This record gives sequence, structure tokens and C-alpha cells, in this order.
Amino acid sequence: MNRNYILLTILMLALATGTLFLKKTPNYNEIKPQKLLWEIIQPTRYVTTDQVAKMIINKDQTLELVDVRDTKSYEKFSLSGAINVPLDSIAATSNQDYFGLPGIKVVFYSNDDIAADEAWVLTRRLGYKDTYVMKGGLNCWIRTVIQPQQPSEDAPYTEFEKYHFRKGAQIYFTGANIEQGSAGKSKVSIRRKKKKAVAAGGC
Amino acid sequence: MGPLIPNGVITGDWDFVIALLIGIAFGFILEASGFSSSRNIAGVFYGYNFVVLRVFFTAVIVAMTGLLFFDYFGWIELDKIFILPTYLTPMIVGSIIMGFGFLLGGFCPGTSYTAIAIGKLDGIVFTIGLFLGIFLFSETFPLFKDFYYSGFLGNVTLTDVTGIPAAWFAFAFTVIALASFWFTMIIEKHIRKKITEYKF
Repeated sequence: MNRNYILLTILMLALATGTLFLKKTPNYNEIKPQKLLWEIIQPTRYVTTDQVAKMIINKDQTLELVDVRDTKSYEKFSLSGAINVPLDSIAATSNQDYFGLPGIKVVFYSNDDIAADEAWVLTRRLGYKDTYVMKGGLNCWIRTVIQPQQPSEDAPYTEFEKYHFRKGAQIYFTGANIEQGSAGKSKVSIRRKKKKAVAAGGC
Repeated sequence: MGPLIPNGVITGDWDFVIALLIGIAFGFILEASGFSSSRNIAGVFYGYNFVVLRVFFTAVIVAMTGLLFFDYFGWIELDKIFILPTYLTPMIVGSIIMGFGFLLGGFCPGTSYTAIAIGKLDGIVFTIGLFLGIFLFSETFPLFKDFYYSGFLGNVTLTDVTGIPAAWFAFAFTVIALASFWFTMIIEKHIRKKITEYKF
């Protein structure tokens, strides 16, 4: 008998027996705290209500809206196409299929930022990428998209552009009537120039 | 840390580079183990040479226990590695056909290339047959299509199906493999005594 074969057999047996005693350490796949903190202070994790409205109107297939409020509030009012994952069940195994889909942007929203922010931190800690928070939540949505305020006359041009977009979005989401411009009703006063006295004669 | 690509340590573009390196290493090991000789390979069916069984069993048990230890040390996440989907019946039929090919031709696809690499004529003939087979299969595929996709079980492992921890399978398999090493050594000795004229 070859001595090497015997030694190798014993070694392999010992290693295989060793595997029986390996304790499986739970793997939470968490991201590092430093990285999480750094990402928390980045403004890039927010999307504005205007951006969300634009994506809904364009029927953007990469958008996944997640309402993190409770089911009752969700049933009362929610954004079109949103799914309901209450904050307290966001880490449940049954809800994990909603997150981490390649090419899909998950946007959390609640009445304000707070619950959505919590959901963002939880999912980020679970290791999911491409998650965002709708800045200002539904309160901001109502303020900006459903009831947009006309900017003051001296506001910059971009404010007016934004306002016009919001008015359009308001019509899209609420079916509000298109406001008739008052231009048709106002009278155009014609001011005639006074005839100047032409110097007569002369040369 | 690992698996490297799913964990984003390196990008997926490295796929082919890694495949090439593994391929070269695999070919080298096959040739170094004597797999470029069809007599060595077919010997397992006649009982005079069990090198195929030993090499493959060694590879399997080393990789198996190695992966379990790697997983324990946190070097690789076993939940993230790709598991080939199981199509039960077609896989059984396929392996029987493969076994017959092995027995008749004296090569499996990988070893036929190592045989070509060292200029063996039977390797070249085998590979021509291999490509004819691939061509025929591709052309007649619509006939087998339903059978080919039947018996789908998903990307399952024995642990998923039976609920027995992977370590127990690894242990049992190692014991079987080691026992077979010693047992086949005895068979070899016994058969080789009877062979009067034999050259590798």
C-alpha cells in the first residue's frame, strides 16, 4: 500500500467530517455603515413630485411606486400604479420580490418624507439598489401637482415652465377643466394716433 | 467576497477571460491525467483502468468540501452561485446516451479536444462525429423539443429536494468516493493480472 494514498485518504476524510461541524453564519448582505451614512446625505436619492408625475404620464415602465402607508390610507388615496407595502412589513420575505429588480427604479412615498425615508434605509440596508424617495411625499404632491400655485409675475421663466407642466399634470390626474384664457373677453382698446399737423406749404 | 461577478468585485466582461483560463487549466489537467488516451478512459468500463473515476471523484470531493469551507470562512456566498436547472427525465436519458458515446468512442467531448491537441487520429475522428451529432441534433431539435424541456424541477439542489444539509451529502459522497478508490485499486490489480498483452 502506498503511504501517500493512506495519508491523503485520512486527510480527505478529516476535512469532510469537518464540514459536518460548520455552523452556518447568517448572511444579512448588509451594506457597510459608512457607505449607508454617505448615501443617506446624498440628495440624489430623492426624486421630486414633478419627476414622478412626468414618469407616470409617460407610462415609464421602469418606475415602481411603493406606498409605504398603511393599507387603509392606501385604499383611500394612492398614486396611479402604486403598490402598497406598509412600512412595518417592508422586510417581510413575501415583499422582497418587489425590490432589486434589474432596471426598475423603486420610489417610496408616504404622507411626508419620514416613513418613506425609513423604508429607503431599510431596503438599502437589505442591499437593494435603485431605490428612491419621493421628496415631500403626498403632501407635496397635492401642493405641487394637484393644486399648483401660479408663480408671481417677477418669477424666473423656469418657474412658469414648471407651473405649466404642473397645470398639465393637474388636468391629467384630476381631470380638471382647462382654464379658458381671459384674452377673448378683454376688449382691445384702440388708441388712435393723433394726426399731427403737417406743415403746409413751404417749399 | 465571492462570487466575484454577482457581488460586483469584477464586471461581467471578465466572463470570457476567466472561462479561457479555466479552460486551459481544465485541458491541462485532463491531458496530465492521461485522459487524452481513449484506452485509459474506456478502461473504466472494462475494469483495467479506473483513472477517470479517480480523477473526477477527486475533483468533485475537493471542490465540494472546499466550497463548504469557503462558504464558512465567508469567501464565497453559496446562495449566490449559479445552479444548473434540472430537467429530470431528459437528463437521465442524456446521460445514458453520453455513457454509450463514452464507451464506444473512448472520449467525452472535453477529452477529445485534448486528444486532438496531442495529435491523436481517433480524437480527430471522434470530434468530427461530435460535430455531426451536434448538427443532427440541432436539425431534428423540433422533434425532441417537448421532451427536452420536460420534467423541469427548477434550479434545485439535493438539499432543496430532501432537506438534508449539504454537509451530510458532502460527507457521504466523500466516504463513497474514498471507498471506491480503494475498491477499484483491488479490481484493477485483479484484472490486470489476467491481461497478457496490454499497453497504454
